[in-house]
Amino acid sequence: MKKLIENSPFNFYKATFVKKSIFFFFLLLFSITTGFSQNQSVSGKITDGVTGEPLIGVSIILKGSIRGVSSDLDGKYNFDNISTNDILVFSYVGYGEKEVKIGNENIVNITLNALTDQLDEVIIVGYGVKKKINVTGSVISVKSEDIDKSSLQDPISVLQGRAAGVQVISNSGAPGGGMSIKIRGNSSLNSGNSPLYVVDGVPIESNMLSSLNGTENFGLNPLSDINPGDIESIEILKDAASTAIYGSRAANGVILITTKRGSSGKAQVDVSINTGVSEISRTLSVLNATQYRQVILDAYNNMDNPTTPNGIILDSLNPRNNGDVDWQKELLRVAPQYKVNLAVRGGSDDIKYAWSTSFLNQDGVILNSNYKRVTSRLNVDYKVSEKLTFGQSFSYTYGLNNRINAGGTNNLSVIRELLVRPPIFAMYLPDGSYNGYQFGRRNPVGLAELATHTNQNNRIIGSQYFEYEILEGFKLRSNLNLDNISMKEDEFIPSTLDYRAGYNSGSVRAINNLTWGNETYLSYNKTIKEDHNLSALAGMSFQKWKYERVGLDGMFFASDNVTTLNGAGTISNQEVNIVTEHSMLSYFGRLSYDYKGKYLFEANLRTDGSSRFGKDNRFGYFPSASVGWRFSDESFFENLDIVNDAKLRFSIGQTGNEAIGNYTSQGEFALGANYIDNSGAAPSVMPNSGLTWETTTQYNAGLDIALLQNRITLNADIYLKKTEDLLYNVPVPRTTGFAYVTQNIGSIENKGIELSITSRNLVGDFKWDTNFNISSNKNEITDLPDDLLTNGFIQNGNYHILKEGLPIGTFYGYKFNGVYSRDEDNVNGVTNGALGQIYKGGDPIWDDVNGDDIINEDDRQIIGDATPDFFGGITNNFSYKGLSLGIFFQFSYGNDIYSEINHQRNSVVRYNNLSTDALDRWRNQGDVTDFPKPVLDDPLRSDSRVQSRWVEDGSYIKLKNINLSYNIPNNVVTKLGLRKLEVYASALNLITWTKYTGFDPDVNSYSGLREGIDEGSYPQSRTIMLGLNIGF
Amino acid sequence: MKNFKKIITGLIVLLTLSCSDDILDNDPVSSFSAQGFYQTSADAQSGVYGIYDALQSTFRTNFSHWGEGRADAVNTNHSGDPLALQQNTLSKSITTARWNNIYETISRANYAIKYIPEVFETESEFSLQLIAQARALRALSYFYAVKIWGDVPLVVEPYESVDQEFFIDRVNKEEVLDQVITDLIFASENCRETFSSNDSRILFTQGAANALLTHVYMWRKDYENAVVSAEKVLDNNLYSLVSMNDWSKIFTSGYTNESIFEIAYDDTQTSGLRTLYAVGSDSDYFPSVSFRNSFEDDDQRKDLIYDTTNANPRKIWKFFGKDFNDESADPSANNIVLLRLADIILLKAEAHNKLNEVDEALSLLNLIRNRAGIGTLDETEAISMYGDVESAILHERSIELSFEGHRWFDLVRTGKAIEVMNPINGLSDEANFVWPLHEDALNKNPKLEQNQFYN
Repeated sequence: MKKLIENSPFNFYKATFVKKSIFFFFLLLFSITTGFSQNQSVSGKITDGVTGEPLIGVSIILKGSIRGVSSDLDGKYNFDNISTNDILVFSYVGYGEKEVKIGNENIVNITLNALTDQLDEVIIVGYGVKKKINVTGSVISVKSEDIDKSSLQDPISVLQGRAAGVQVISNSGAPGGGMSIKIRGNSSLNSGNSPLYVVDGVPIESNMLSSLNGTENFGLNPLSDINPGDIESIEILKDAASTAIYGSRAANGVILITTKRGSSGKAQVDVSINTGVSEISRTLSVLNATQYRQVILDAYNNMDNPTTPNGIILDSLNPRNNGDVDWQKELLRVAPQYKVNLAVRGGSDDIKYAWSTSFLNQDGVILNSNYKRVTSRLNVDYKVSEKLTFGQSFSYTYGLNNRINAGGTNNLSVIRELLVRPPIFAMYLPDGSYNGYQFGRRNPVGLAELATHTNQNNRIIGSQYFEYEILEGFKLRSNLNLDNISMKEDEFIPSTLDYRAGYNSGSVRAINNLTWGNETYLSYNKTIKEDHNLSALAGMSFQKWKYERVGLDGMFFASDNVTTLNGAGTISNQEVNIVTEHSMLSYFGRLSYDYKGKYLFEANLRTDGSSRFGKDNRFGYFPSASVGWRFSDESFFENLDIVNDAKLRFSIGQTGNEAIGNYTSQGEFALGANYIDNSGAAPSVMPNSGLTWETTTQYNAGLDIALLQNRITLNADIYLKKTEDLLYNVPVPRTTGFAYVTQNIGSIENKGIELSITSRNLVGDFKWDTNFNISSNKNEITDLPDDLLTNGFIQNGNYHILKEGLPIGTFYGYKFNGVYSRDEDNVNGVTNGALGQIYKGGDPIWDDVNGDDIINEDDRQIIGDATPDFFGGITNNFSYKGLSLGIFFQFSYGNDIYSEINHQRNSVVRYNNLSTDALDRWRNQGDVTDFPKPVLDDPLRSDSRVQSRWVEDGSYIKLKNINLSYNIPNNVVTKLGLRKLEVYASALNLITWTKYTGFDPDVNSYSGLREGIDEGSYPQSRTIMLGLNIGF
Repeated sequence: MKNFKKIITGLIVLLTLSCSDDILDNDPVSSFSAQGFYQTSADAQSGVYGIYDALQSTFRTNFSHWGEGRADAVNTNHSGDPLALQQNTLSKSITTARWNNIYETISRANYAIKYIPEVFETESEFSLQLIAQARALRALSYFYAVKIWGDVPLVVEPYESVDQEFFIDRVNKEEVLDQVITDLIFASENCRETFSSNDSRILFTQGAANALLTHVYMWRKDYENAVVSAEKVLDNNLYSLVSMNDWSKIFTSGYTNESIFEIAYDDTQTSGLRTLYAVGSDSDYFPSVSFRNSFEDDDQRKDLIYDTTNANPRKIWKFFGKDFNDESADPSANNIVLLRLADIILLKAEAHNKLNEVDEALSLLNLIRNRAGIGTLDETEAISMYGDVESAILHERSIELSFEGHRWFDLVRTGKAIEVMNPINGLSDEANFVWPLHEDALNKNPKLEQNQFYN
């Protein structure tokens, strides 16, 4: 039997991470114990394979039983009552696992190697696992230790700064708030730039489904439904060789999330509890009541025909206007949170289970915002016979998010009102009610406290599989998988917040989003003559999506106290009630071969058919190939002791994108074009039956090197991604009756370099590890059809343009060159283009690009770029015995932010408040300043031009996480009857170094292409947490 | 174990068979594919209602911006379009220069005109009147397009494929008006005479088609034809002048006997009347001093039109009723009355006058004057008070039809725009009468050139 194990192609799975991975069963198939008990005892010492240090607390379990002991302070152990045929399993956190057959030995000394040294470490790849050292594509793996230490509540945040080539930006700092993730740049012009997520083999819905987002341009983070505590590892597949097996949905990379599974042995119970508090990381300075009144008076006096200021400015006795409110102080709070996680994992040879549940209760730093989440998971694997295994992974999540309408430029946006509502507007009226709407400004505290904005979410992600070994090494596996999101949203704005007497409004939405499918595949692994390793995979899958939404909008509710829609006097919208469907049918295959692990080769092919395209263009073919060369195994390399392992990799392949509407190619006639009570229909989407896949071709070259007894490992990649036939909503003349037609046009290129270094600087009792990663991506639009362009570009939202030769995040507008000190400084008589006024002292000096002394749209120019030059992170982990300290910095350099919120808070529109920058405003002829004179309802509309004045350097370094933990020594723990006891303190977002003047440079008010805009999102907070992990 | 093999083999076969390409056929569930609509007569009917839906959007506020914003009856405090229109500083970026909604209406009409005949195996009265409504709505849209921009692109086929030419030139406005008249003649022959109940006022009828034809002929100065089509409207017993007591109801409740065509709105499909004329002292327009001073004594309409109690009236309450509280939460559920009998009577009067049939002209004019409680005018009095009979009629239109979206077009049509507006905003060039093409239209279609005045 033992020989069989060693010779089997599964041998390589034996060592390390396999413990909790799905392929563990294969190992067990071959490692059945046959002996019977005979009294014997074994003892020995367990040491670190590199340093020779004794390892304390190593778990030693008799295979196939629940009996176990652990090693003492000297690394010694003693195991009684075993027989010669028994196998002992030695395992230790952060180290590999070793199985040893006892035989007749009484003393068995064991060396274990830390995981980073392990040549046998495996990682999850599409439809299988692979030895990490044999990977020929570009894959990053983030393990549970890093995830647990991060103290973050969702798996996407965890990736920020930890994985080269993966850029994570926060849309919102709200609990459960939206995140944008981008792997190797934007490769699409439509919104389809997010990667494919696969959880335990289930391709899940990762689009933001929330449809009541108030004034915000993004929804909640759908990955918040996954409890990070359940995650064993996250693999990020970046190059085409790794992703092409996922074909058409893989152009933006693939993120594989693998959850923890049970292993045989005594049930391990893990309880972790953490609690903490958050506060806003920075407040912004605004004018107080006195300063404010003076600015507004100036703004009146600076009008062409000054009028008497509105009474509210002069009348400081009116109870509505006699305040001096610091709105930030009133609205922001220190917010507590806690989380409890309970897991029980274990099993026998036949059945293994992993059960877990967690509860999170997280307050946000804005009043009344709160997120509660309950997760529950059960993963079971059941071995029916030597050849047949069944299993399932099911998770259920309930989330209740009490949201705040924080982002956006509307006056319902709390953050905007927080910064621009005049301080003189009192918080309360004399009768104790909120002083609400005044001159276009709403009361942000009232909005937070009284408006309803909730999102309830029930989600089941599950899969069931069976796996049957038809012949040795030849297996059939079939998964049935499902992801069902059932969401209910409510919104209500009471009349007390409106200016119209009795006007209130509410909305309700219920969404059901079901995606389900089947994946069935055959896999074959064979080692021929010891040196030739061959594996093959062939399969098919289908997946279906059904999105259903029902809802109503209503207004004139009878009472502010009944907010359900039965109370609405008028139903104003029912057109939200829709059902859409989408399906995909795919065939895929893979062939990989290596010779002694020295020459590696792999090829993939996937064919995807999508219902979104016309009949003739449905199927797309996505091939890839990769090669690897472990040149450290060549004879000429043998003398170089310094290099332990070195491998070159190359890959090329194609992936696709179908991110268009479900019915775009067929065109649509929409209902709801009603003429009062008569129901009408109208063409809403112009058909284009010729639409086809957007295709990305990616080239990748990589180098993996391990040096100095694997103390230093280095992974470097360079890549080139070319995306063609971009699916884009091409604007067409409105004389067609349509605003746009979706077409395949143009191309984009992303190229970049990624570097990760892991270094074990100190080993021994005192350990010091460093992980560093940095990446740089250059995005360029390489082709746009000329007939789409106006002045050579496409306007992308208000602030960006799309232009050949430029990256997608390019800001385009007027360059602000300061302020005319005196009227006569405008020597050329430069005029405002639209209305011809001559600029005077106190007005902005605009860069007159064409020198015609008229400032009009021809003077716009590139004023910034939202894409960073490089970004990454560095982690230093120190440990001494049970004590460990992790310090994680995350950085981004060279990205600009267009601060629309700074525009709002530096411009007098009606009677809004300004930032303290306004104290330096131009007041009199001769003043030299960069802050123009404030003008009430400025006819020049200087402030609302898209301009460089609102573009800021968004570079930053963040002390993202410090984690100090102490593992109580094993002998103490054992006395307490425990397996493990760890206490820790953790700080998130502790310090940010940046020149950016907004709340936080980690900001992105839009999901999708309109990057780097700060319209005032829910601000980021800093959090301090304390935690306790107990294992029984 | 044998059984397992069988089961598994069976499963593979099952899965392979069940996954034919058919699963990729997903038709829209809550909508229709572009080719999937227009199958039944009910579809044909909804397709036509869909055109009216676009019409609602087109005229929601623009009936006033286009028809009143540039004329002398209103004044404004609002920056943006109202100010630009009042001060005659139109630019290619103003919102009212957009023709998006007009062409969306036209596109929907073109779909209906093309596909409705295919729905019905044989031509029926029902199918014809649906097509006639679609053509009338297309004509209405093009008529406004010509009045606003002059020459415009003429699209009479639906866009259904990327192979069609997107970039098309403008054609001469007379050619467009020829198409308008062809469509309206078809409509005046094939629309229904009446519908049951209120629908006669909010859907295109033969009477509405004739009323619109009158407008088009007047715009073209084709007075003989104008008289002919106006005659048909006056002879139509669907229409009669309401009494002065009910005059306000024409606007506040709608559906009166005087009404020929109204664009219908309700609580949720709201018009923009509040925003335009009466919202919390902050409306787009308020009555100008010259308008307020232009009433003859004893005109009973004056305090039905605006707040005469206020020295500086900030609201126009013609559409909401006397003493309307402009801080109320009422949405603008009012219909917009686009064509009504008094309008056509006065147009007919104008046409008669142009044809030197002054008596006919005066008797029609006096019909409207007398209702408002002001005296009968003979030719001498008309000349002494207003300079000539045409001016007397035009003045009557300015009061009777005030703020209903006629004034600017009346001034342009009668060649009085410069005379009236020059003192107010310096208007001096006939080429300035049209709006600029919006920059968005210019940007998206390289074949379009800006109207000469705005170059």
